[in-house]
Amino acid sequence: MYEPSIVVRKAGPDDVEDLLVMIEKFYRFNEEFDPAWSVKEETRDVAKEMASKYIEDPRSVVLVAQVDGKIIGFVRAEIRENPILENGRLGIIVELYVHPQYRRRGVAKRLVEEASKELALRGVSVVGAEFPAANSVARAFYENLGFRPYLSVYIKEVK
Amino acid sequence: MKKTDQIDWYKLSLELHKFYAGKIETMPKVPIRRMKDFAIWYTPGVAEPSRVSGKNPDYSLELTNRWNTIAVVTDGTRVLGLGDIGPEGAYPVMEGKALLFKYLGGVDAVPLVHRAREPEKFLELLELVEPSFGGINLEDIESPKCFHILDEARKRLRIPVWHDDQQGTAAATLAGLINAAILTNRDLRKSRIVLLGAGAANIALYRLLKAYGVPPGNIVVLDSKGVLHPERDDIDRLMIRNKWKYEIAIETGGGGLKPGSKLPEALEGADILVAASRPGPGVVKKEWVARMAKEAIVFAEANPVPEIWPWEAKEAGARIVATGRSDLPNQVNNSLVFPGVFRGVLDVRATTITDEMAIAAAEEIAAFARERGIHDDYILPTMEEWELYPRVAAAVASKASEQGVARKPTTYSEEVERAREIIESVRGKYEAIVKAGLIPPPPVDYEEP
Repeated sequence: MYEPSIVVRKAGPDDVEDLLVMIEKFYRFNEEFDPAWSVKEETRDVAKEMASKYIEDPRSVVLVAQVDGKIIGFVRAEIRENPILENGRLGIIVELYVHPQYRRRGVAKRLVEEASKELALRGVSVVGAEFPAANSVARAFYENLGFRPYLSVYIKEVK
Repeated sequence: MKKTDQIDWYKLSLELHKFYAGKIETMPKVPIRRMKDFAIWYTPGVAEPSRVSGKNPDYSLELTNRWNTIAVVTDGTRVLGLGDIGPEGAYPVMEGKALLFKYLGGVDAVPLVHRAREPEKFLELLELVEPSFGGINLEDIESPKCFHILDEARKRLRIPVWHDDQQGTAAATLAGLINAAILTNRDLRKSRIVLLGAGAANIALYRLLKAYGVPPGNIVVLDSKGVLHPERDDIDRLMIRNKWKYEIAIETGGGGLKPGSKLPEALEGADILVAASRPGPGVVKKEWVARMAKEAIVFAEANPVPEIWPWEAKEAGARIVATGRSDLPNQVNNSLVFPGVFRGVLDVRATTITDEMAIAAAEEIAAFARERGIHDDYILPTMEEWELYPRVAAAVASKASEQGVARKPTTYSEEVERAREIIESVRGKYEAIVKAGLIPPPPVDYEEP
């Protein structure tokens, strides 16, 4: 269900304002699932800093989806290395958001696929995705794209 | 004896509930001439019908009263305006509903109040008791849990499941809207429709309107925070907590309004308002109705006091006003719908009630009123119009047959006759019992209007 009018491209410095809004929304969404993901009250400045840093970061892949010149979604993946593993270069999708009014058109799927291609070009053989364990929406989405559980991270509050 | 407007219904009801100790009972429907007859109705003879039903479970819908028996099911989490009063609290209401089912539709209904509040458990309960019943009527369950339970139960069970607070209210409303649209020369499918309140009734109405052919973009739905809009601040939270509201926001796109819009903006130029929100008056203000299109249609369905009084809505320019009250014109009343719907689905041993069947019921109710001559103060039949129920049954049964969800398909004309016979036989039996003095007259009473 690809819509040819939707363009996916690498994010640049001009996209920071759009990115920070989506970063905020992404974390506010995940906050719903687990209090350990609680977001700070005031996030605009932090989100702006994050966005500016990512687009410069050589270990990150940041793509935006655009329709009629309007940015409607983004994905950020980061490359992680573990030299002892056979498949030691992983590309992990850490943030993904599509504005609600543009959902159900395959935009998120397209973002994941384009990010995977870009990661593969950079020598990644395995692509993963990180999200709160309780985020059933994300789980269903990635499973639907053929992803399977790979890593479990357990937490415990220590203070 | 007191006049109806000054009478204390609560006190009278409690006294009479005590006196009669229950509103329904089961009665034999076979001849019992002597004790030997039990060799037919019970052992040893009954073993044969048992063998047959055991081999082919659908035969239990022929050989027992299962076909005409439904469960009126609740966990008591949202009873009338009383809120979460639990299963025992809900029992008198469920029994009252069972009484209406029998009296209006000839349906044997059994209250099934239970403690399975957790949705999965609730669904499991329905699956487990399915073999006892020909249908399930859900009632007084809190939102949004009720949506999940209805959707899932419709998928999992092979008997009709209906949630009257959703589909019953929605079908009665649609019937009223069809005739209101005719009176005001509107095409419902091209009208701008505003739904105030995003609870059971309006979320079901939204779905029914969509199935009826109204484009989602023509509809605006508001909850207590304003328009359901894809750009609303809490939209992602809705996706998780109330996916039904979320889907409406996405599908309608907020009706093209700005995010954050409230009712006054939503009513600008709107043709129709259906309010099913909270008791008025003053929930909908006159000056907002004045912003609507000429000859607007306003349904204010909250009880006991509508969101706006009919005379206020009319002063503000509305042409047709309906409420949920029996003492005002144009009562939107579930009781016009559920007796006939269940009569119809039980008679054809339907496996489900589709949206098209609900629409067929609404269209039949509307057509019935039109035959009697609709005008601004008569867009819907009243409960006293007995001929309505077999007609609704026939519309639903024939639609079920057409859609292939009837185990025993039938035609409209066959079903009108059958439903009329069944309902008349119930009334005949009841009148005979009353005539014989077997139901004592009430020791306290109110004055007949």
